[in-house]
Amino acid sequence: MALPMNRRALLGGLFAAASVPALAACSGGITSLDGGNGSSGSGTGSSAGGLTIGTANFTENQVLGCLYAAVLQQAGVKVKVRPNLGSREIVIPALKAGDIDLLPEYQGALLNYLAPKDASAEPGTMQNALILALPAGLQVLPYGQAADSDCFAVTRATARKYGLVTLADLADLAKQNGKLVIGAAPEVKKRRVGAVGLQEVYGVEFKEFKSLDSDGPLVKGALKKGDVDVANLFTTDTDIAANGWVVLTDPKNLIPSQHIVPLIADRKADDTVRKALARLGNVLTTDQLTQLNSQVDNDKKDPEDVANAYAKEKGLAK
Amino acid sequence: MYELITNLGAWLTSGTQWSGYDGIAHRLAEHLQYSLLATLIAAAIGLPLGLLIGHTGRGAFIAINLSSFGRALPTVGLVVLVFLASGLSMWPVYIALVALAVPSIVTNTYAGMTAVDPDVKDAARGQGMRWHPLALIQVVATATIAAYVSFGGLGRYVLDGLAQRDLVQVMGGAVLVAVVAIALDLVLSGVQRFLFRHRPA
Repeated sequence: MALPMNRRALLGGLFAAASVPALAACSGGITSLDGGNGSSGSGTGSSAGGLTIGTANFTENQVLGCLYAAVLQQAGVKVKVRPNLGSREIVIPALKAGDIDLLPEYQGALLNYLAPKDASAEPGTMQNALILALPAGLQVLPYGQAADSDCFAVTRATARKYGLVTLADLADLAKQNGKLVIGAAPEVKKRRVGAVGLQEVYGVEFKEFKSLDSDGPLVKGALKKGDVDVANLFTTDTDIAANGWVVLTDPKNLIPSQHIVPLIADRKADDTVRKALARLGNVLTTDQLTQLNSQVDNDKKDPEDVANAYAKEKGLAK
Repeated sequence: MYELITNLGAWLTSGTQWSGYDGIAHRLAEHLQYSLLATLIAAAIGLPLGLLIGHTGRGAFIAINLSSFGRALPTVGLVVLVFLASGLSMWPVYIALVALAVPSIVTNTYAGMTAVDPDVKDAARGQGMRWHPLALIQVVATATIAAYVSFGGLGRYVLDGLAQRDLVQVMGGAVLVAVVAIALDLVLSGVQRFLFRHRPA
């Protein structure tokens, strides 16, 4: 066969080879998102240049990002949302680089990311620790009343069969049968609230770590079908109760308090933004957030519609 | 950038990176296994079908539309769909890869069978009908999705690297996939030239 054809085939193959990483990249920008330090220089308030909200790649973070957008727009701030960017390992560097300005975060997980082993249980202490741990240019605003923790869940059948109540029980079981499989997002393999901490704090040795998604259809499907024994889920997921899954308790406080906290670039944190986000933080409860997540996950509604409807209902936006 | 490239070089050549369960050697073997097996299954389905269409001259319309349909199929979507139906196994991966490869094998076989005017053949090539290696190379590139549903292969580096923001790992995985695709293409075109050495091009 003629050579040009092979070359074409080769190009086709290369293009296809590039397309899968690219597909993953569109949900998690690899480096700088638009390669610059943003249009607004330091000292410019949000009202001048507008504000870009980034969100991580799971349902609740999209909902929170849209809620932030709704209340900020109501306060007259020009807002842009860049949803579904990726894991914390992606979004925090994007925030530092100035590609995004505001991020819905979780106290304990953020602290674990910034200063591993510094996490404590009490939200006020944690807020102080966060303020100390944050790099220059970033700050946390007051935390809201809603909280969402990482958790490790098993099916009711598994819990009954092995008498599992706590994460320590899990360690015993892992030692006995040596066949425990955990399912979680790929980043959880290297995280303290994940495979690393479970091993260090409880001595849980998994036979296998299955890389799936963040509290999404893959990890929940795998737990439901028994393909994984333990799944890393979020406590604000109605599917846990709906499926009768058992969240293993954490007597050694591996998993820190996880109140939702806005993480923002200093230059964008003006009074308008602070007030609007503080108001949302005071109104939104864990139960309400759980319901909003469920509307997206189970009723297949758009996160933006869900957020706008909530903001309207609570008088946070028109 | 320079640092990234030197790190990538170190990653690709480090002995520890090549050994063990998460080592390049093992991931490469997995990747080849997924790709070759999927292509073989696809050929077992696609070749007879293409021969039948070429032989009888019937169903060509369907074959060409099947090809377009196959190319439009979102592979990741198919993986998730089969995953939700069947659970965590290699099925979603193989079904998606086979679905990707079958259409091009069918149309290529059919196009090869019909002894038509060379101008028409050229036109067919121009419209995207190519010889089989493309199917395999497409599968090699797409086999990275196995990692999306927790399995191995070179996609493991790309997906884990993205989630953990380890750029060197992402690039290492991508480079390896590209190298495998190029190497297989060269090998197959060599084989092809050898087999058809007595025929005019």
